Amino acid sequence: MLLLVGALTIGLILALLALGVFISFRIFEFPDITADGSITLGAAVAAVMLVAGSDPLVATAAAFGAGAVAGATTGVIHTRFGINKLLSGILVMTALYSINLHIMGRSNVPVLDEATVASSAERAAASLAGGPILPVFGWEVSARDAGLLIVALVAAVVVAVLLYVFLRTNVGTAMQAAGDNAQMIRALGVNVENMIIMGLALSNGLIALSGALLTQYQGFADIQMGIGMVVWGLASIIIGEALVGTRQLGFLITGAVMGSVLFRLLVAIALRGGLDPNDLKLITAAFVFAALVLPGLLRNTAERARRGRGKPAAEAKAVSQ
Amino acid sequence: MLSVTNAVKTFGRDTPDEVRALQGVNLDIEPGSFVIVIGTNGSGKSTTLNAVAGTFLLDEGRIVIDGHDITRWPEHKRASLIGRVFQNPFSGTAPNMSIAENLALAARRGQPRGLGWALNASMMDDMRARVSTLNMRLENRLDQLIGSLSGGQRQALTLLMATWQKPKLLLLDEHTAALDPKSADLVVRLSDEIIARDGLTALMVTHSMAQAVTFGDRLIMMHRGQVLHDFKGAEKRRLRVDDLIARFEEVRRSDQLDETAAEMLQRMYV
Repeated sequence: MLLLVGALTIGLILALLALGVFISFRIFEFPDITADGSITLGAAVAAVMLVAGSDPLVATAAAFGAGAVAGATTGVIHTRFGINKLLSGILVMTALYSINLHIMGRSNVPVLDEATVASSAERAAASLAGGPILPVFGWEVSARDAGLLIVALVAAVVVAVLLYVFLRTNVGTAMQAAGDNAQMIRALGVNVENMIIMGLALSNGLIALSGALLTQYQGFADIQMGIGMVVWGLASIIIGEALVGTRQLGFLITGAVMGSVLFRLLVAIALRGGLDPNDLKLITAAFVFAALVLPGLLRNTAERARRGRGKPAAEAKAVSQ
Repeated sequence: MLSVTNAVKTFGRDTPDEVRALQGVNLDIEPGSFVIVIGTNGSGKSTTLNAVAGTFLLDEGRIVIDGHDITRWPEHKRASLIGRVFQNPFSGTAPNMSIAENLALAARRGQPRGLGWALNASMMDDMRARVSTLNMRLENRLDQLIGSLSGGQRQALTLLMATWQKPKLLLLDEHTAALDPKSADLVVRLSDEIIARDGLTALMVTHSMAQAVTFGDRLIMMHRGQVLHDFKGAEKRRLRVDDLIARFEEVRRSDQLDETAAEMLQRMYV
């Protein structure tokens, strides 16, 4: 049970990461590696502010702001200086490593003894339940774990709904169009460069928010915690797309959240089953590779099989009625 | 409405690939006039349209639309004055967004975009009414992704989008060239109807001599980055396809003459 609650909580916290990666990868087709740096940035900013005695909500909001600045920087480097998308992200990610170390002052900052979103959640859950242990369906769950799960759930749902609402507004649809067909939306009067900068700011803001919550959940910020996170987010999105099976926006956003939770559950089960934690990133990378390559491979095989049966497969992308 | 003065543009200057695309284009277009632009390949007709639309900035010259000097304006800013339909039917619409969302984006061309809902009920009614004028039975499929439609349908919708808000200038860049004959005919007729109905000022580049003589009230023939012929009024109405082909033949012969003359000079002096 503890395993399940933990996996759900981390899955929901990392759903914010998945939503951020959804904006960069899926809306803008921008492989934004800034994510690896900005999740740590969010964690670092939140941890240092918590240690300094800031209100947990203020610290969490500040983490979002810091991530947004990092994302906007990547956007500016790409759009204003014409640097390749991937390289823009790599530059900012690399710079963030030093910046994060400067913010934290060392490579690890514990926040276990500070007042955090986690400790507030624990207090609230304990007062609701009337004790530090909650019986849930016969299992004993600590108030801290239960409170955190609820906080993570609320955060994921609120962010997902806000993102959906935003993408349905005038500026949100313009942002989607900027990723879908830049030429078209430019001809309709939208500054595509500004949209990319704004989109990456939003994306990395959410990723940093995820980092801030993760820090408060696990009780520390660590300089290494961002490594491979963008691939993790991508894996969540791919699983989500497979789960919902449509291209509609609302489903895709829901799918990203569900994908993140499911992926974390699978990982928890695999680790329980004896998977070496050191292999986790290798397996995640291999999974994403397979998920990206397999659909095309299967389509080609099906195509070849069809052609083998003598049916002409060359349906030219006819421009017709 | 549109005035282009001495427009000069050279791509890849001082490289082996240097292309002198515009070599002093002068153009003055009256409000409400529908101008056809024809020319040989590389004559600068599409480049002229792109210069007006702001795809690139001119090396020299001036562009004025409706009293606004837009010579240095970026492309997205010019969109407040200009509606455009591209040659590629896939260029004018966002494929992974619905018909309604695409139309809503077009309805705010050149206007600030805030946090209001992109789609609302009254707008949907307006959309259904306007889309039904296309006679493509798309008015009940507004939630469908545009990417699932045919090129002809997408081009007709792009035309509707470009003229949703009456533009000061409508640019049609060989917008029927990639369509099958039936769709091409339909889209060009639709363009003519909308231009006439709204009294739009329009520039249409075309490769079709039949379109060039049938539509528009003025015809400009470009060659080597300059305006070579300009037919207006009765002269334009009298033009037949044969006349245009004769003009192209003239251009071809004079080009050949230039080449042989150059060769001769080369033999004699080099």
